[in-house]
Amino acid sequence: MSRNAKTHLGRRDFLRATAAAGAMTVASPGLLRAQASDINLQTWSAAVDTVQSHVAAFTAETGLGVDYGNSPYAQYRDAMVTKFVGGAPLDMMWVSDAWLPEWAEAGWIAPINDIDFLMAYNADANDFCTNSMTYGGKQYGLTYYSDYMAFFYDAEKVAAAGFDGPPTTWAEVVEQSLAMKEQGISDYPMMLAMAQESWLIEFISALVFSHGGRFTDEDGASIMESSPGVQEALQWVMDAVNTHQIISPACVETGELNGLKAFSSGNHAFAMVAKYRLRTLNDPEQSAIAGNVRQAMMPMGPNGSHETVGWMRFHGMSSAAAADATRKANTAKLMEWFGGKANGEYKFQKLLFLDIGAGFGVEPLFDDPEVRAAYDSYGDVDMIQAQQALALKKDVVTPWFGEWNETNGSAWQSAIIGNTDAASAIKASSDLWTELRDDY
Amino acid sequence: MTASALARDRKPGLWDRFGYEERSAVLFLAPVMTVLMAVAVFPILYSFYVSLFRIKLTRPNRQPFVWFENYTDLLGDHEFWMSVGKTVTFTVTSVASIALISLLIALLLNEQFKGRRFLSTILLIPWAIPYVANALMWKWIYDSGYGALNGVLYQMDFIDKYMVWLGDQDKTLMLIANAFVWKEVPLATILLLVTLKSIPDDLYSAARVDGATVWQRFIHVTLPAMRPGFMLVMIYETMMAIRHFDLFFVLTEGGPGSASHVLSWHIYVETFRNLSFGSGAAMSYILALATFGLSYFFIRTLGRRL
Repeated sequence: MSRNAKTHLGRRDFLRATAAAGAMTVASPGLLRAQASDINLQTWSAAVDTVQSHVAAFTAETGLGVDYGNSPYAQYRDAMVTKFVGGAPLDMMWVSDAWLPEWAEAGWIAPINDIDFLMAYNADANDFCTNSMTYGGKQYGLTYYSDYMAFFYDAEKVAAAGFDGPPTTWAEVVEQSLAMKEQGISDYPMMLAMAQESWLIEFISALVFSHGGRFTDEDGASIMESSPGVQEALQWVMDAVNTHQIISPACVETGELNGLKAFSSGNHAFAMVAKYRLRTLNDPEQSAIAGNVRQAMMPMGPNGSHETVGWMRFHGMSSAAAADATRKANTAKLMEWFGGKANGEYKFQKLLFLDIGAGFGVEPLFDDPEVRAAYDSYGDVDMIQAQQALALKKDVVTPWFGEWNETNGSAWQSAIIGNTDAASAIKASSDLWTELRDDY
Repeated sequence: MTASALARDRKPGLWDRFGYEERSAVLFLAPVMTVLMAVAVFPILYSFYVSLFRIKLTRPNRQPFVWFENYTDLLGDHEFWMSVGKTVTFTVTSVASIALISLLIALLLNEQFKGRRFLSTILLIPWAIPYVANALMWKWIYDSGYGALNGVLYQMDFIDKYMVWLGDQDKTLMLIANAFVWKEVPLATILLLVTLKSIPDDLYSAARVDGATVWQRFIHVTLPAMRPGFMLVMIYETMMAIRHFDLFFVLTEGGPGSASHVLSWHIYVETFRNLSFGSGAAMSYILALATFGLSYFFIRTLGRRL
């Protein structure tokens, strides 16, 4: 039998074939690479279907292809930092206001001040949103979502306890809660989720701001120890948990989502959660207290006001995209499509609001009949707008925010569980802030 | 001089000393060794290199070479030593409990009784559950609002109101250790049971002839003969406990406060939340060295008389 006629694969044939395949792969990496799109968009895994359909509409409108990827919010920052460092192709991405200084300082995202048609949208945006997208005097994107920490109450429980209306101060929260405990309406009338997670700083900030406190001064130096509202806020939580027992000691293991579920199942009378949760809380399919949940202005401390904390998310442009004229032009078009107007209206922000109840950062949408009708079905638009006007940007958003936030959360938790006193916890947090600020 | 003469006069190199079989072996092993070098050896060496820099991903333009400063800084780091203390507490409690419980179960399963096979089968269930699923299950069990633990204790009148479990700093570490023990006991039991089965009956017969009681046979025959099994269990479980992460991540995220801030959590926070890869790598090396040291200690002490 001739050599050519053999049908089995010999050892040498196998090695030869493997070597040939390897050589081809090395020589032509393009074979394994997918067709590149015009724009690379990265978001976290929220409203994925809405994003996809809006991307499809953009492609149909402009003819530009968009490569869309997403990852869970909990890992988003780490994933994006790794992509930036690794030089992954990125053009437009969702950015949290909390990461802006870090990403801008590292040179990963670029300002959009020189793109006039994008900057023109500032005329419609809330000042809070524009400020939150601005770092070092430069604006880094267009907003698509903005919300704040709200105070909700179960109107039925408040009435059952004999009160005419919701509490307006933190002292009244204690007073009404104690009455409810006494009458057996709720074991722990106030729901506060203080687990160590990304929401914790929002809860802490809302408590501090409503007590009139500030973490830092205008130069970014720590004033935590000298600003009375900070310690007062922590002391209020400590007393509420340990002395009055109106907040469950399990609050340190309760995350935002579990807290929401506990409140919606009727275990509590008061709750501090993100405003966009109001729709869920008044949805009979998702909440046992649907129809009874009302929003009140954030209660205030003895030296405070109804101020609360706000946050926003925006579309940012990578520095790599900004450095290339074509990529920059394409990305700016996509940014306008998502963060500005698409076919004459703030389409994406409206879709997000109607889809998941996410708040928006542009004023004209408050006048949109569809938006007002949706809000009216589960909330009070005027109350929502009034509280939004008192939402403050977190004053701890700096390049070292992430590092400080971890320790600050632990310090507050330690004080709540009685491991340390309020002053020591605040001092530990303040000392770390100063150390990190000096280091940076 | 001709080419063939040159080749003849050339000193034989390393490759020339290999025969056909050895050359084939080198050739066939080369791809695997290359992959191993790329995915195991290189990352280990590179992470040590990284530990000599002050690398912070969010400061890409400032990453100075600091020699062993990341290591020396840890000596004065209060949080690091606190996490070491918590790791030691968790490891000692877990490993001791695993060794004791698995010994008792192994002794039970070594006896002949009805239902032994069924018991052996269900014993393996915790082992078959993935770590994260195990952690989520215990999170539900320990939940202060709707957890099974509170439900059972309340129904049985052991408590008159629902208790806070993971949120109580005095209980947190022990509750996590309990979840860890539950998951690890099956494997330890199997290892000890295999050792038990390998003890020759002659030893027991001889002991009986000498008039040894059940307790004396256990102390003087069973336990010494189980030393190899114990050594395996101690080394493996210590390695698992000292670097365990999943339960801490799912159940408490190091909290409440710093009640469950063990070393593996500290390394995670430093590396993946603070994105400080330099100091994170340094801590990882210390953890690896500690694990290696403990394993060596167990081999020296328990394995000495094997």
